[in-house]
Amino acid sequence: MNVEISDLTRRFGRTQAVAGVTLATGPGVFGLLGPNGAGKTSLLRMLATVIPPSSGRLRLLGRDPGVYGPRREIRRRLGYLPQNLGYYPGFTVVEFVEYFALLKDMPAGRVPGAVATAVERVGLGDKARAKLRTLSGGMLRRVGIAQAIVNQPELLLLDEPTAGLDPEQRVAFRALLRELGQHATVIVSTHLVEDVGAACSQVALMDQGMLVFHGTPGELTARAEGTAAAGDAPLERGYSAVLAAARSTAAARS
Amino acid sequence: MTAATDAPVRHGPPRAASTGPLTAARLLRIELRRNAMLWMLPLLAALFWFSTYRPSMALPPWWNLRGTLLQQQALLGFAPLMAGVAAWMGSREGRRGTADLVGVTALPRWAGQLATWAATTCWAMVAYLGGVAVVYGITARQATWGGPLGWPVAVGAAMVAASCALGFAAGTLVPSRFSAPLVAVTVFLALAAGAIAIEHNSTYAQIWPLNVQGALPPDTFGTFSPYLPDLAITQVLFLAGLAAAVLGALGLRAAGGRWLRCAAAVAAAAGLAAAGTGVGLAGTARPEAHGIVIPTLHDTANDKPIAYTPVCSQAAVPVCLHPAYRSLLPAVTAALDPLLSEVAGLPGAPVRVWQVASTHLQQRPHNGIELSGPVIGGSPPVVSLPLSGMALPGEGHTTAAEFIRQLRSQVPPMLLNTLIGGDQLDTNGQQGSRSARQPSPSVLAQQVIKAALAQVAGVPPDSGVPPLPPGSPADAAAKRFAALPAAARHAWLVDHLTRLRAGQITLGELP
Amino acid sequence: MTPAGVDRPPSGLASATGMRPAGPRLAGLRLVRLYLASRRALTCLLVLVAFAVVLRTALHWMPRSGLASRQLPLTIQAGAAALIGVTTRSPFGEPERATGRWLPLLRLGTVTLLAGAAVGALVAGSASAHLAGGTLGMLRDLAGLTGIALLTAALLGGTLAWVGPLAYLVVTLHALQAAWTTPWVWPVRPPDDRGAALCAALVLAAGVAVITMRGARDTAGE
Repeated sequence: MNVEISDLTRRFGRTQAVAGVTLATGPGVFGLLGPNGAGKTSLLRMLATVIPPSSGRLRLLGRDPGVYGPRREIRRRLGYLPQNLGYYPGFTVVEFVEYFALLKDMPAGRVPGAVATAVERVGLGDKARAKLRTLSGGMLRRVGIAQAIVNQPELLLLDEPTAGLDPEQRVAFRALLRELGQHATVIVSTHLVEDVGAACSQVALMDQGMLVFHGTPGELTARAEGTAAAGDAPLERGYSAVLAAARSTAAARS
Repeated sequence: MTAATDAPVRHGPPRAASTGPLTAARLLRIELRRNAMLWMLPLLAALFWFSTYRPSMALPPWWNLRGTLLQQQALLGFAPLMAGVAAWMGSREGRRGTADLVGVTALPRWAGQLATWAATTCWAMVAYLGGVAVVYGITARQATWGGPLGWPVAVGAAMVAASCALGFAAGTLVPSRFSAPLVAVTVFLALAAGAIAIEHNSTYAQIWPLNVQGALPPDTFGTFSPYLPDLAITQVLFLAGLAAAVLGALGLRAAGGRWLRCAAAVAAAAGLAAAGTGVGLAGTARPEAHGIVIPTLHDTANDKPIAYTPVCSQAAVPVCLHPAYRSLLPAVTAALDPLLSEVAGLPGAPVRVWQVASTHLQQRPHNGIELSGPVIGGSPPVVSLPLSGMALPGEGHTTAAEFIRQLRSQVPPMLLNTLIGGDQLDTNGQQGSRSARQPSPSVLAQQVIKAALAQVAGVPPDSGVPPLPPGSPADAAAKRFAALPAAARHAWLVDHLTRLRAGQITLGELP
Repeated sequence: MTPAGVDRPPSGLASATGMRPAGPRLAGLRLVRLYLASRRALTCLLVLVAFAVVLRTALHWMPRSGLASRQLPLTIQAGAAALIGVTTRSPFGEPERATGRWLPLLRLGTVTLLAGAAVGALVAGSASAHLAGGTLGMLRDLAGLTGIALLTAALLGGTLAWVGPLAYLVVTLHALQAAWTTPWVWPVRPPDDRGAALCAALVLAAGVAVITMRGARDTAGE
């Protein structure tokens, strides 16, 4: 298992963003769904070692990220694309990806090849020398994906990776995810259920900081049977059904 | 986007690879290419040309003058702006929202920050050392003696590194839009405060980076005796220590392993110790005639004068200057020749004017010092003339004529008082019995001859030669004597100077 | 989000957000408050107060004549002008520019408010202390430096607006040493010199006009 989470919580002041999540996953593409404010980004940031958990147990790639040495080792094997990607407008595409390849402690000799491969894989080969300030929002997103995959990570965390991508690019991106998921654990946080359906072998649904569903996309779809859940696609209806059930359970408890 | 590539995909990164020199070099290369200081180079070049190059070229081509400007003027223009740009670079992650992105990478954050700081400082050094190279390169072609002074440049370079470190750290800690201007203004204020502290005679303030050998005029040091590096060493120690302390503190703050934190703590502690040592040493500084001496660091070999062959004018009484002052020989000769040719060959008259190093007399309030003036002595008599501390042609609005005027207000009065006398009280033993405004007839005769020769020599009024009441018999006698042909004046002085000096000539015996 | 009810806000929205329907005057005040908050005007005011304290302290120790007596006050004035220039930076970029008629007035009002605050702070800081050049000279110098900061903001962007006044300060310090007399370096001229006052006023007017109409240059990604 590359990711082992046990009763993980995270508080920001009085707000409990993640409330006791337990999860384990190995290689494959894992989708993380949920409404706004469900805690997906906070969970992803803990997995990315950006913030520590308030409580609970977390092991990534068989290591404890709470200790400096193992955390550094995890980060060598980690790729992370945040929801709001910051960038340096004066850098070129290649410079930006190279910069992060170097920060990820890749052997210097391998960097040029890895950078070129990553840039090609996201379809920005002809924009390699372009300054980031000249790129569209979708292209910037792809640059973000390139820096996340440049070091061929064993754990890849993507927060809204397809934001700004056109349909053709989303199709290509899903294929890329499937290919990456053959050997790495890829966790994709997204609002787009069709991305989950097309690329993910497992999916989890979060609501109000808690995990309310964990299974396959087929199992999620099946949850909508016999209900009047809203949605234009089977997966959307399953999503709505699970959320509705979780909220009614929570309301009954309170 | 492509799911499959032609290149074989190697899955997972290789086993842990430590950051090597190649990684550091690559990081530095990226940072150098995209550093904001690079874009500031044209502005820095313009400011350098304006505040340092032009004033340098207006001064005589002396290494000590131009080296002083490179430490003072250049830093005053550069250091605050460089600190501001460094703060701008330090706040980059905060401004661009990349803190999370770079924070989850394997390379210790401190290493990444040091790469950014190093790139910023590299370009700042390029600007500063480029300006130094231009000024020193031109001086090398113009100078007639000596060589470039390295210590003012070393202090300047240390100040550049320290300014960038302070600015970078401030920008990293407070990535606000106000960081860069506040850092720049703070450095300006600190430089101004240092000047004020020195004016208040604070010895510890000698550490101030724009201080070059204290209150000694720049042309005093590095000519007759070697440039004393004592103060410069303490300044470099202080500035380098400051930079190390600040950068070490950054490392303490950045998340990292135990060894990394230890290294950062050691760097910070060593930096603080070095800076404190520098300040402490500066507190023991004392000004000497040839520079600031710090006893712990002083090498007595630097007190030995430098041998040189003087350059002399071809005149009855030659003026001999240090070869570094060759460019001033015509002006000094023009200033003194009118009087020297009058008194050449007279009893007690000097046979030569010889430039000497200044002798520090005493300290004045507000960090001032009084330097020795010209004196005549020896056998045969020689005028010892220190030129240090005078306003040189090209300095401010000083013209060659004003420089000559300065010389004529110093040397001829001293010479006339020595040769002829006439500024003491009545020598007939009636001291105090006469009013100072009514000299005795013999003293009056001395004053008449001095006034006449001063007029011939072009001595400015109020320069130490007592003025004669206009329209008085003494004034008329002075004018008559001055109107005589030079040969007649000289002949009279040959015959009568000894008696005149002894007070045995009265007004009625003057021609 | 629901398809229905877009035109009417949900019934609990007002109490949930703490907002109540406001008249034009209150709405205008709120707009001004939000605009000032977006420009970090309060931080700027606090730093100006700190500058006044520094000036007060410095005047106690400074010599009354010579270059040092001018250098410190001029540095503080340049710093105040730099702060005013930096506050012109918009954190919103294009979406703000594509709005209605209030933006130029807000820009003008903010610059006027902060410039006035700077004047007040520095006058208070130098009250009953000897200031080389006097209050009149300080007003003139600050006005000109502020104009330079605003012009720099229009050219290079708000976050780099500080470069202009501080570069001008370097030029001024050299001009004071070299005894220049050109009115375009107004601090070298006597406080009551009309030519210098005119030059400073022109620069200020140009800066205010450019910032009012165009605002600071948007720098990508900020």
